[in-house]
Amino acid sequence: MKILVCIKQVPDSSDALLIDERRGLLSYTDDTAFRMNRFDEFALEEALLIRERLPETLVDALSVGPERANAAVQRAMGMGADHGIHILYEADGYRSPFTVASLIAACIHKKNYDLIMTGVMAEDSMACQTGQLIAALLDLPCATSVIKEEVRRERGEVAVEREIEGGNREVVQLKMPAVLTIQPGINFPRYPSFSKVMRARTYAQELIRAEDLAIEDSRESCRRVRIPEPSSQRVFIKGSSQDKAQKLVHILHEKSLLS
Amino acid sequence: MENRAVYIIAELRKGGIAQETYELMGFVRAIENERKPVFLLVGKNIEEQAREISKKTGCDTLALTGDHLEHYNALSYAHALMEILPGEVAAWVCLPHTSMGYDLAPRLAVPLKSACITGVKSVGGGSLSRPIHSGRFIEEIVPKTPRVVVTVLPGAYRPCEETAGVAGAVRVIEAAFTELPSQTLGTVESIHRDSALKDAEVIVSGGRGIRKRENVLLVKRLAALFPRSAIGASRSACDLGWFERKYQVGTTGQTVSPKLYIACGISGAFQHVSGMRGAQTIVAINTDIHAPIFQVAHYGIVEDLETFIPLLIEATNRTPPFR
Repeated sequence: MKILVCIKQVPDSSDALLIDERRGLLSYTDDTAFRMNRFDEFALEEALLIRERLPETLVDALSVGPERANAAVQRAMGMGADHGIHILYEADGYRSPFTVASLIAACIHKKNYDLIMTGVMAEDSMACQTGQLIAALLDLPCATSVIKEEVRRERGEVAVEREIEGGNREVVQLKMPAVLTIQPGINFPRYPSFSKVMRARTYAQELIRAEDLAIEDSRESCRRVRIPEPSSQRVFIKGSSQDKAQKLVHILHEKSLLS
Repeated sequence: MENRAVYIIAELRKGGIAQETYELMGFVRAIENERKPVFLLVGKNIEEQAREISKKTGCDTLALTGDHLEHYNALSYAHALMEILPGEVAAWVCLPHTSMGYDLAPRLAVPLKSACITGVKSVGGGSLSRPIHSGRFIEEIVPKTPRVVVTVLPGAYRPCEETAGVAGAVRVIEAAFTELPSQTLGTVESIHRDSALKDAEVIVSGGRGIRKRENVLLVKRLAALFPRSAIGASRSACDLGWFERKYQVGTTGQTVSPKLYIACGISGAFQHVSGMRGAQTIVAINTDIHAPIFQVAHYGIVEDLETFIPLLIEATNRTPPFR
């Protein structure tokens, strides 16, 4: 079995992000720290669990991004991925899910992965698209929001349960190769030891330049990034901590919510 | 005004038309397109549901049916829909941003050579606005293709009222079966529902922002102040194992509409908000003044709940009830 896990590097917190008003883009400051998208940690953990169940499985981790994205690939190798691939994509500003998926599809179409896994979405762009786009571009079946999987290698199949609205699950059977986007909660992602993280720094990564991959242009652009309009219904309760507690208790009494 | 075709892909849930389908009418009104939308409904034995749509919205409705379409499946749905959708050179294809919508949208967008814009909250001035970074920022996306596939966040628009006008035409088309590399076998129930959550008048919920398992106790103590109360949780707090899954409020958990909802350390991702926006009064306690939960809350308190909840409990003991 060959498994590819696609991981994204995201800002550790949105606190250190600023809107560059001139360009209408989000910009990072020197204080911005980056880490692996949490949803992708669940995907990577699930791939590593499959490897533990099925001997002779190899897990590759891939990330698309600028220079700093190699830290996410390194982290993945620290967690246990066998091989790391970094598609160096320097372009600044809006990154279309279609562009990212096209780069990944162009990079892997001859690599014969049995499973391609990624998180159900990225914490920053929240698009829920990349996995499905890779599948559509490579003409593979795909299941999203996967909360349980069972690889049946001898039958070339993977059976999954995907979470749907109202606490239900859909049971889907896919022929491999297939793409799975993983729902958080499917497992508890391992936390690599310091020594494993340090050792991963010495591992070589396969570096591929985005310019060397032939892809179509993005089908949409981003005009600007802005702050949401303030909510009209909301009142911030002000004062010292004690004042706030007292005021809230009064409000709850007035509304007969506390007796 | 634009003159593109507009398709709404309807969603079936437990045999009925999901409310999010009707919310898409609000989105379609907002894009100010000249042409009336056409509904596309995929499934098995769905003529009655197609009639409901055409009656309620006054729009033409196409039912694509077949035994193989009994359950939602990205490939079989896309196969059926691609018999219809490429017929128009310029079109909006609208889906709800649900487990069906975001699963299916990219599968349609790639062969339609269209932009795929997901999780849209509003539209105007030629761009589609979508929350990013958990709702802390909004990005405005401009499609560059004549066909555009869009998924709209649940709750972004109100569902349409029943039209007084004439019902739209209903056409039933038998969709051809083809062998596909993915098959949906059915659905199963995944969580044990906590009926306490459904019946509670007051729900106190905890999120990742409670920071540690021990603080679940604070949430419980706050809930205990109210009669007919229950505790709830966000998905990420359940994923961390701090709360049992049955307490999860949100898209993949339970939908609640209590008199009072107190969100403690919950950032307010739309998946959570769509499960509790129906609450009459929403109080949010969070250290981050920019947390999107403050967009839906009626009362916002920027405080650390470790210090604030004990103060709040103390304040209720000090303040005599009004008699």
